[in-house]
Amino acid sequence: MQNMTFISQTSPYIRKETSTKRMMFDVLIALTPVVFFSIYRFGLDAFTRILLSLIIFVGVEALYFLAVTRADGYNFTDKIKNKFKKYTINNFSAPAVSGVIYAMIVPDHLHIYAVVMGALFGAGIGKMIFGGLGFNLFNPAALGRVFIALAFTTFFTGSYGFIDAAAGATALSTPFPNVLNSYSLVDLLVGNIPGSIGEINALAIIFGLVYLLIRKTIDYRPVLSGLLIFVALSTVAGYVLYPTLVFEYVVFQTLSGGLLFGLTFMITDPATSPVTRPGRWWFGLIVGALVFFIRSFGSLPEGVAFALLIGNLLVPVLDYPMWANNLFTKKFYLGYSAIFVLLAVLTFVILGGYAI
Amino acid sequence: MITKTRNIPDGKDVLKKLPLIHHLEAPYLYYPITNQRCPEGETCVVFGQFVKVGEVIGTRKGAFFEQPIHATVSGEVVGHEMKFDASGKRVNCMIVKNDFKYELHESVQSMTDEAIEALTQKDYVQIAKEAGLVGLGGSGFPTYIKLNAKNKIDIILANGVECEPKLISDYEVMMQSPEELINGLIYAMKAVGAPKGIIAVKKRYVELVERIRFSLNSYTDYDIEVVPVGNHYPQGWELEAIESATGIKVPQFKLPADYGIIPFNVSTLQSLYHAVKFNLPVLERYFVISGDGVVNKSFKARIGTPIQSLIELGGGYVDRHIPKTLIMGGPMMGSNVTNDDIVTTHTATSLIVQNSLHLTEDPCIHCASCVYSCPVDIQPVQIMNAVKANDKDFLKALSVNKCIECGLCAFVCPSKIHLTDYMREGKCILRG
Repeated sequence: MQNMTFISQTSPYIRKETSTKRMMFDVLIALTPVVFFSIYRFGLDAFTRILLSLIIFVGVEALYFLAVTRADGYNFTDKIKNKFKKYTINNFSAPAVSGVIYAMIVPDHLHIYAVVMGALFGAGIGKMIFGGLGFNLFNPAALGRVFIALAFTTFFTGSYGFIDAAAGATALSTPFPNVLNSYSLVDLLVGNIPGSIGEINALAIIFGLVYLLIRKTIDYRPVLSGLLIFVALSTVAGYVLYPTLVFEYVVFQTLSGGLLFGLTFMITDPATSPVTRPGRWWFGLIVGALVFFIRSFGSLPEGVAFALLIGNLLVPVLDYPMWANNLFTKKFYLGYSAIFVLLAVLTFVILGGYAI
Repeated sequence: MITKTRNIPDGKDVLKKLPLIHHLEAPYLYYPITNQRCPEGETCVVFGQFVKVGEVIGTRKGAFFEQPIHATVSGEVVGHEMKFDASGKRVNCMIVKNDFKYELHESVQSMTDEAIEALTQKDYVQIAKEAGLVGLGGSGFPTYIKLNAKNKIDIILANGVECEPKLISDYEVMMQSPEELINGLIYAMKAVGAPKGIIAVKKRYVELVERIRFSLNSYTDYDIEVVPVGNHYPQGWELEAIESATGIKVPQFKLPADYGIIPFNVSTLQSLYHAVKFNLPVLERYFVISGDGVVNKSFKARIGTPIQSLIELGGGYVDRHIPKTLIMGGPMMGSNVTNDDIVTTHTATSLIVQNSLHLTEDPCIHCASCVYSCPVDIQPVQIMNAVKANDKDFLKALSVNKCIECGLCAFVCPSKIHLTDYMREGKCILRG
């Protein structure tokens, strides 16, 4: 009996069969249909951009990790060796997810230089200087995308391929009723439209969404909340602007642009989401409403990324311990529905449904 | 997995099938003079004195109550020694050398049903006090204080949920002797004047529900029913069991007695039956040895039996080169002991020997699985951040004191962060 060693631990002594690694790889698996479709559709253009952003995201993380991690060792090579021992699979999978998502939201003909700068900014400033996995305030992919949109605006001229003479750069930049002449709703579903590399095929994205929801890797609350407010506001807008084409307008708004992609892969990023259930409903509401307003009144192609960043900015407010609560209280139900209705009414008034 | 997790693999089916060994051959039995609730204690026997089963050999003294220590074998008092008790503390133990005759003490006499009929609440309290009955579910709370309730009690709840994995003691009690449990429940109802008794068991145990219902057929004079409740964890937690079985919502930090209900563990009720009917203290308990580091065996052993001897009897450890973790109780809330030199006490029903696994913690990714799974609706991840920042105001706002340390937050964490430890630390910070 004496040669046994007993180790002291504290309860609980068992853990669930789940891991951060599994969640990351689930997202990568969910991204594969989108990635394959984009390579099929845009060929080498897409492939080089995906590979490049992958390398940059993973590389920046590795460099930062090697530079910042402290490890013991009797000489330089030994230290480096010990540092590599601390390098886990998460140091690869997490930036890989961000890298692929970033590549999916840039246009296919965007200059490589701009792609590289955005990836560097997203990986470095967006994630690593905050401390890496789990500490970032903003979605790294969205931040990189918004950075190049603002700093390298001229690079975007003509960056969207397949420009139709009658249509604009993306389906969204074409005036609404006319766009239906260029692209049918089926085109929107299968991705036969111009747009960012990974955002155009709604079917592939929905496949990923279903996979993630079944695997419970993402939370349905922000997705549903965002989709609900967006559909509600577009219905109001469609009713005001195109009373005869309400259904087409709503479907067109939902399927085009980066909305679906953003709702599936970006709003659900746990690190930049609130941690309570009501908080996630609010988060979805904020992002969904912002996407709609940017689309209706701003016409930026990267509206989803902008909306998401503003949403991320409000996460600490939603999570503030003095009022954040995981219970669905009457206050939450009342507040949520009141804001929801208020936003719909505001949209109605602003769009001219009610002349003052 | 960003979802509410409530069902955890419990591994009970395998343990239930193990043959039961009734162990009466322990040569020496050890009785701790102190325990967690009673920091002081004294003996009233001298070395060399001959004691019998059920004889009082000492008293443990707690903050507001005293608890007699009973011999569970007959034999000679031979000395004292330091041993570990179920909570993992080193305590001084009295040693009684077993003469294997199991002679009963003169005070152990059965009472007729007529005499029991005439007992008042005061008598019941006195009996429970003298028999040293405590909550056998693990709390070790003196039973007589519960029986001494002054409020109007409507319901006595027999809590047989036993939601922790790997524990089968209550199940065995209910399966082997449902009549004793029902009688104990009736005594408790009589003691506090409650008209109704409810036995809560897991829905999954269909055979158990049937068995108790069958036994209840001979007790139609009393309003007792079996209520199957959920299979999830922590269904056995007092307040959750009360809510599922009766629909009464008792807020945290309030006594269930104020809401007209008193919950008892089923083993406690069985011991109440023994105490009232035969004037016996708790002599034996089911004890199961489980886990991947040891040969699994199920025992029925006298209180005071050294666990080392049970392990040896069962077949000893396996994979001796792998470091082990010893757990008294269940794998979610049990206490850790650092030495296998342990004795069985009233509240010990299980020893788990685990091959220690080395867990590396990943950074928190705010997935909020812990928040979703928390049974008391607090936010473990936010509390962890507050603990790291040593922020008392936030800890108070996040009401860390509500935490029941059920362990679900650490169980579900995909990053394998030991959140339950942060909860404990948070409570310490608030205490100052």
